[in-house]
Amino acid sequence: MTPGAPDLKPSQTGPLGVYLHIPFCRQRCHYCSFNTGPYRPAAMERFLSALLSEIDLVGEARWAGGVSIGTVFFGGGTPSLLEGDEMEAVLNRLRKRFTLAPAAEVTVECNPESLTRDKAEGCRLAGVNRLSLGVQSLDDDLLARLGRLHSPVEARRAFNEARAAGFDNLSVDLMYGLPGLDLARWESAVGEILAWRPEHLSAYALTLDEGSRWASEGVAGLPDEDTVTAQYWALARLARQTGYEHYEISNYARDGFRSRHNQVYWRAEEYLAFGPGACGFLGDVRYGNVKPVERYCAMLEAGSLPLGTHEVLTPGQREAERRILGLRLTDGVPLPWLKDRRPLIDTWHSLGLLEIAGGRCRLTEAGFLLSDSLFVHLL
Amino acid sequence: MWGLEPSSRKTASSRDILSIVTLSRIRNFSIVAHIDHGKSTLADRLLALTGAMDPKKAVDQVLDSMDLERERGITIKQHTVCLPYRARDGQEYTLNLIDTPGHVDFSYEVSRSLAACEGALLIVDAAQGVEAQTLANFHLALEAHLTIIPIINKIDLPQADPEGTRRQIAEILGLNPDDTIAISAKIGTGVPEVLEAIVHRIPPPPGDPAAPLKALVFDSFYDPYQGVVVYVRIFDGRVRAGMPALLMSNGRVYEVQQVGVFRPEMRIVDELAAGEVGYLTAGIKRVADAKVGETIADANRPAAVPFPGYRDAKPMVFAGLYPVEDTAYQSLRDALEKLRLNDSALTYEPETSLALGVGFRSGFLGLLHMEIVQERLEREFGLTLIITSPSVRYRVVPTAGETVEIDNPSKLPSSGEIDHIEEPYVRASVFAPTEFMNPIYRLAQDKRGTHRSLEYLGKRVHITFDFPLAEIIVDFYDRLKSISKGYASLDYEFLEFRPSDLVKLDILLNGDPVDALSVILHRDKAYEKGKTLAEKLRAVIPRQLFEVAIQAAIGSRVIARETVKAIRKNVTAKCYGGDITRKRKLLEKQKEGKKRMKQLGKVEVPQEAFLSVLRS
Ligand SMILES: Nc1nc2c(ncn2[C@@H]2O[C@H](COP(=O)(O)OP(=O)(O)OP(=O)(O)O)[C@@H](O)[C@H]2O)c(=O)[nH]1
Ligand code: SF4
Ligand SMILES: [Mg+2]
Repeated sequence: MTPGAPDLKPSQTGPLGVYLHIPFCRQRCHYCSFNTGPYRPAAMERFLSALLSEIDLVGEARWAGGVSIGTVFFGGGTPSLLEGDEMEAVLNRLRKRFTLAPAAEVTVECNPESLTRDKAEGCRLAGVNRLSLGVQSLDDDLLARLGRLHSPVEARRAFNEARAAGFDNLSVDLMYGLPGLDLARWESAVGEILAWRPEHLSAYALTLDEGSRWASEGVAGLPDEDTVTAQYWALARLARQTGYEHYEISNYARDGFRSRHNQVYWRAEEYLAFGPGACGFLGDVRYGNVKPVERYCAMLEAGSLPLGTHEVLTPGQREAERRILGLRLTDGVPLPWLKDRRPLIDTWHSLGLLEIAGGRCRLTEAGFLLSDSLFVHLL
Repeated sequence: MWGLEPSSRKTASSRDILSIVTLSRIRNFSIVAHIDHGKSTLADRLLALTGAMDPKKAVDQVLDSMDLERERGITIKQHTVCLPYRARDGQEYTLNLIDTPGHVDFSYEVSRSLAACEGALLIVDAAQGVEAQTLANFHLALEAHLTIIPIINKIDLPQADPEGTRRQIAEILGLNPDDTIAISAKIGTGVPEVLEAIVHRIPPPPGDPAAPLKALVFDSFYDPYQGVVVYVRIFDGRVRAGMPALLMSNGRVYEVQQVGVFRPEMRIVDELAAGEVGYLTAGIKRVADAKVGETIADANRPAAVPFPGYRDAKPMVFAGLYPVEDTAYQSLRDALEKLRLNDSALTYEPETSLALGVGFRSGFLGLLHMEIVQERLEREFGLTLIITSPSVRYRVVPTAGETVEIDNPSKLPSSGEIDHIEEPYVRASVFAPTEFMNPIYRLAQDKRGTHRSLEYLGKRVHITFDFPLAEIIVDFYDRLKSISKGYASLDYEFLEFRPSDLVKLDILLNGDPVDALSVILHRDKAYEKGKTLAEKLRAVIPRQLFEVAIQAAIGSRVIARETVKAIRKNVTAKCYGGDITRKRKLLEKQKEGKKRMKQLGKVEVPQEAFLSVLRS
């Protein structure tokens, strides 16, 4: 390990999560600020071998053999650009270096246009058991405005093909608060998606993140705060009526289908990260790999870990993160974690933003909407 | 001889000069002027020409040694420096220069400096002409019976009008135009003539070195190592280390530990004799024990008659100072105590506010003084403060009982118990080019001024008004400057208390009055002010979890209302593996910002809210 590098080592005994970042897309969406670049087969090939060597390098750590992996998440970028055998190679490398739990949840993020029936089957054969489909909208012109490459019809086709390939755990990503999206169109889109009966649904209000095209150029027709809030409530209502649990600020699931991987984050559990810009959490260290794909590959080709940044959390920061992340879940946190914030909790309680039951404290759906106003006091 | 640095050789020789000075070779003078006319710059030139300052070490306005003075480019405290000067007559003279501040808040510094001098250089900016403080300081110098040397400065400026300025000096001040010296303190033109005029026109100090000691304290500051350093002007006798010094006003005796002069750094000398200006230390613990105006005598041979003494600089403006964090109360107390050591015009006493907790009601000479104190408390002592709206001191005559003075609007008795209220008035003097007369009269009317006199001085006018002090402490000066393109100038002094139709305007947040936001003002202005206040508060109070109603009320009558709508959403939609650190940092930053928020009941009010009341 290079001088000044942190001592990376898991401290928890339970299984870890693994995040794999696939940094390529065919085209950049206008709202996107993720670490992704244009897809080129040659670049993908070079990246994949770097990724495998990264797994090898981390796998050389003395603790690696004893580590069991409970969840794997291929995120991006567009992981569905990978072929089934490529995913398999990556998973095999993980199996070789660590222990992949037999019931591990293995998710791949997919864009509809790159998810064919063959691809879906390839995924299954590779050991993937959950797909997350980036549908975003069911509106032809909205999808075009977002800079997405698929149509609503294609999204539906991809969903059906995933089902046909045998996936019984499917998630759909949606966006609201989009330019020109009114409440009626949103409600009908949500109704239609819920009728597909995905096991899981994530819905995010649009944010203009730094680094995205819309953040720098601006975008016309954004709905006002009241409309966005109404869209949040419409979704919450429709999801409840159709049997979905609103288990995290932006996430809904049918019984037993919460995202196990994402709960690793919200429970402040530890996870490994591979790929450019991927962030991991081990012991009390949050770390991130270098972001540029070129540098990432070059470092690994030179035999060194592509570590970019890291921060050793103080016990206070760890505690704060646990509270803040835990309250994103409808499970909330044990009441004693907030015992020194009594007046604040009372105020939130009296305003109906927070509930206390069974020795736990949790945000209500109204509380979710204002959660950052609470979190700032929980640091 | 070997190894002596050139500078220490110079030190030795100037000390020799000092020891042979006789009264006839001493000149004591102040530099006075309207703000920014170039006093401190001229002082720089005088230091350079006499060799008191190494030109290599010179910075602009070298005597403005406090950080705040350097940053703001103004003089706040008087600065004394002793200059050895070989005149054209071949003789060595000792010139004691006192640079003074120009801002009206600090005019008491001018009067006390003048008391140590026989002469004054009255500087007038050739591009600005005679201004309000030119006149005010001229009168102070006259009252102190000083020889005045009128100096026209900044003649290098393209817009300079030395001839017009000379005429004004003759017409407005009644000085002989032939006595003026035209200079550029910036580039040095005419400055040698200033030195010669000091030697030839200003009389040497009177006094008898053989008589019993009689010294005037004209300033002091607290030094953590030496205790109080007292600025003295020796009128009779001599003072040296080891002498028992008697402070005549309180009868206390201290042993003199050190005497010296400012060059401009403190330099020890064997003694100070009649006519000289310098400092002494005597283990005095508090500035208040050696007040300005104090007479120091030899305890073994007390002088017969002490100096008449000085009136203390009286605070005119009062405001509550509260730490944003309640735990900082003690630190604020300590900080105020330290500042007060060197700033006798600053007063403070503990007060409690329902809204803000415990703090101090503090008195200031004016708003600049208040800003400077706040800045020093925040910067030098790391405090974060809330300052309540500044108020003047009112006299409340009750229907029954004694008249009371209040300087905190929330202390005003209920209207039923009040017979009438009196407020302080000032006599203000405004100088401006004639073309700005109309807007100035309009402004004066808006500020409840009454016209007193008008005098045409060529293309300019000198107008005097009576104003309620409360009307001019906040934004009067800024508005005067802006309506006159910067050409009008202002000076004022306390006049008297006068009865006024005054009311208290309260601000309520969600129905609860916030005592720290109350103001006393004239009934005719209450509606307008209530409206602007409510609007300003709406703009600065951030949206909260619930709606916040802002009301302005007189007694139980609400005269203005605004609402801050409840926040609808404040949520981070995505928070996955890579987002967590960024998110926490963002929240940490917001939390930092919250430190400037005060919790009033359930409502979070930012520090700016209190400032916005101040500035409206
Ligand atoms: N052009 C020009 N500028 C000058 C001259 N003398 C002073 N100034 C400038 O005028 C400004 C004010 O000068 P100061 O010497 O600080 O004035 P002051 O009278 O000491 O000001 P206060 O102490 O704040 O009352 C500075 O920017 C100087 O550089 C001059 O002869 N010519
Ligand atoms: S598919 Fe996802 S990662 Fe790729 S550009 Fe669009 S939003 Fe960004
Ligand atoms: Mg000055």
